[in-house]
Amino acid sequence: MSSSFTASPFVGKTFGVTVAHLTKTFGRTTVLKDVSLEVRPGEIFCIMGPSGSGKTVILKHMAGLETATSGEVKIGEFDAADPETRNKVHLALVFQAGALFNSLSVYDNLALYPREHRLCNEAGIRDRVMHALSILSLEKAAHKFPSDLSGGMKKRVAIARALVMEPQLLLYDEPTSELDPVMSATLTEIIATLREQTAVTSVVVTHDRDLAFAIADRIAFVMDGRIRGVGTPAEFKSPADPVIANFLNPVIDLKNPRFQQLENSHE
Amino acid sequence: MNNKSQSIRVGLFFLLGLALAWITFESLNGGRLFKKPGYTLVAGFANLKGLKSGDEIRMAGVKVGAVQLTRLAGHRVEALLAIEPGVKIPSDAVASVEQSSLLGSNYLGVTFGTPGVELLKDGDEISTKATVDMSEVISQLGNLGSKLEQVVGEIGKSMGAGSDGGGIFQRLDKLVTDNGPKLTATISNLQDITAKIKTSEGTLGKLINEPKLHDDLLASVTEIKAAAADARTFMGDAKHIVADVKAGKGTLGLLLYDEPTSQSLKVSLNNLREVSAKLNSGQGTIGKLIADDSLYLSLQTTMKKADRALDGLGDQGPITAVGVVAGALF
Amino acid sequence: MNFLTAIIGHIGGTLLLLVDTLKHLPTLPRQRARFIEQCYLIGYTSLPIVTILSFFIGSVLALQSGYSMENFGAKQFIGTLVGLTMARELGPVMVAILIAGRVGSAITAELASMKVYQEIDALTTMNIPPERMLVLPRLAAIIVMMPVLAIIANLCGWYGGALVSQYTATIAVDSEAYFSALKAYMKPKDIMDGLVKAEVFGFVIILVCCYIGLNTRGGPREIGASVTKAVVTSLILILVLDYFVTKALLFS
Repeated sequence: MSSSFTASPFVGKTFGVTVAHLTKTFGRTTVLKDVSLEVRPGEIFCIMGPSGSGKTVILKHMAGLETATSGEVKIGEFDAADPETRNKVHLALVFQAGALFNSLSVYDNLALYPREHRLCNEAGIRDRVMHALSILSLEKAAHKFPSDLSGGMKKRVAIARALVMEPQLLLYDEPTSELDPVMSATLTEIIATLREQTAVTSVVVTHDRDLAFAIADRIAFVMDGRIRGVGTPAEFKSPADPVIANFLNPVIDLKNPRFQQLENSHE
Repeated sequence: MNNKSQSIRVGLFFLLGLALAWITFESLNGGRLFKKPGYTLVAGFANLKGLKSGDEIRMAGVKVGAVQLTRLAGHRVEALLAIEPGVKIPSDAVASVEQSSLLGSNYLGVTFGTPGVELLKDGDEISTKATVDMSEVISQLGNLGSKLEQVVGEIGKSMGAGSDGGGIFQRLDKLVTDNGPKLTATISNLQDITAKIKTSEGTLGKLINEPKLHDDLLASVTEIKAAAADARTFMGDAKHIVADVKAGKGTLGLLLYDEPTSQSLKVSLNNLREVSAKLNSGQGTIGKLIADDSLYLSLQTTMKKADRALDGLGDQGPITAVGVVAGALF
Repeated sequence: MNFLTAIIGHIGGTLLLLVDTLKHLPTLPRQRARFIEQCYLIGYTSLPIVTILSFFIGSVLALQSGYSMENFGAKQFIGTLVGLTMARELGPVMVAILIAGRVGSAITAELASMKVYQEIDALTTMNIPPERMLVLPRLAAIIVMMPVLAIIANLCGWYGGALVSQYTATIAVDSEAYFSALKAYMKPKDIMDGLVKAEVFGFVIILVCCYIGLNTRGGPREIGASVTKAVVTSLILILVLDYFVTKALLFS
């Protein structure tokens, strides 16, 4: 394990991500069809789309948790699917449900990474962990267990855990799902603040319109495993594509309800 | 769970396991986890008769070690004997393969040797002795029977009890008439001999007069063989004597008129008659052996003994079977 | 055919997991805390049930064999039978079955839920191989703890048999005769063989349970399915391996 990075937090190189002609099939269903994207270093890139469109699968490819059926994903110049890449790029993935280690306390969850990689001694680890916790105002939760935390707290802890890694690429999977509007706004602010402080490239998979319009530098729309459009938030304020417009500003139409058309819209 | 108390419990638990393992190995026949201490001797045999590694080595019935390995070494077989520490085996001790039961479970018996003699050390060779096994004993008994029969037949011939020797006493009569004085001396010799036979002196006498020998016969094959050989030589001598008489050696005239001589001649003849009567009536060992009936009886005794041994086996049978089953099971 | 390729795939996957785990062997000294925790969970907490169960297995063995051996007049060999059977066969197999049910299932459940709730993925993105952190300490712990449990099972079984032999009216073999019969035909190799068997079983159980846990796919429902699969596979493997390991040990 060659992983010694600088002790000073949040400093270092940040990476862009290139997705080229990515296709992924699970058994007989093709989830991603020839997806190509470019995330520039330092930007907040949002991937939006309806449920089941495959946006999380794109994120997993970036994190190296899935291998492409065809096409490739590159982080900087490194292949994301190669396990060696994780020795060269410190990428952190904030999972939708947090994916905290239930058997460990919040503190130990955060301390696991520096301990396993022997980045510093216990005192150093403590500084790091408490620093990350203080960024997210979680100092009081340090000795609680994940099962004692609310959904919003879990996500904040998950972000704190990602920060301890001093990431050069931060991936968020649905950071505001299942949260109340205030908590969603809080998390949106956190993501923006972190990018501002560390200039880390952030890829956010979300279907939260407010989040995307508030902080994204660019937004990509994924529909049925394909890229439907990429652009700045301003460009999508009044989208030309009716499908995207319908996704962003759905009009509730009780006379002609959508649920009766759902069967047809999915293949 | 406090980390430290957890470590302590795991440590204690592991040490407990180690201790139990040690105790178990220690208590199993003084067995050791690894190579047993003690020393090794080499024993060479012409035939191991089924002795195998793991069989016991006993000194006067007490286990002193185990056969570690058996191997072929040129024209003999060698057994490596792992002797327990502290067991002293003098260099004149003799090892032999013994059977602990008729079914063929073997052990290696070691004699005490002489105290004070230099002790055997690790790697030394212990002297060995071949032992007979049961089938050998039985076949030798058979041989012995036929040999004895042959001998007795010859005696019969010489004595006139046989088919073509019928005229011996008539001729003797004539000889006596012809050669009195010479016969006196011969007869007195004969008297001596027959008297000795009667009083059970000498081997033949014993053979004829003591039925008890019959049992001894079974006890020791080699002794019987020797006795038989003696008997044959003796009978040869007797034949010579009779032949001498036949040939008319000695003085006959004297004999005819000499009252004491004829008296002793009568005694001799009586003795001879007694002997042959005994032979006929089946007394004494040879007598018994002459009639097939007696041979059969003695064989029966042998068979009885074998029977008894087999009975003993019968008692052990299921146990051994269980042992075999238990062994085979795993 | 599909089934066959699936099984071969699982065998290969298990072996690869073993290789991946062994690659991290040098990290074991600094995972001491985890190793001790697993020793505690696998070994120490299994002690009561191992003790009780093997005691009764030995007792039943003595009772049954006493009943049937009486017909041969071979009661005095009960000690031999119970001793050898416990040491060579039932001790290791019973402990292995207990470990499969008690520890193997727990390991599979834990790893499966970590997998389902993406904790394993989180570890992977944190560049902490799950084999190193989750599999290695468990395998090391079972290797250390299994012989200890097996020897305890042996002794408990022997004493259970001795007690029953002495105090059952129809058997009435006193414990001195029992233990002398036990010693008479027991070689240190018999005990060693038993321990080797236990070691093999324990290792395979933990490896297979880890493999099945880490390869759980789907939602929470699959955790239960994985546990069932792990226990069933372990039991089958114990008994199949039992035959081959015994054969290998007898003719080695």
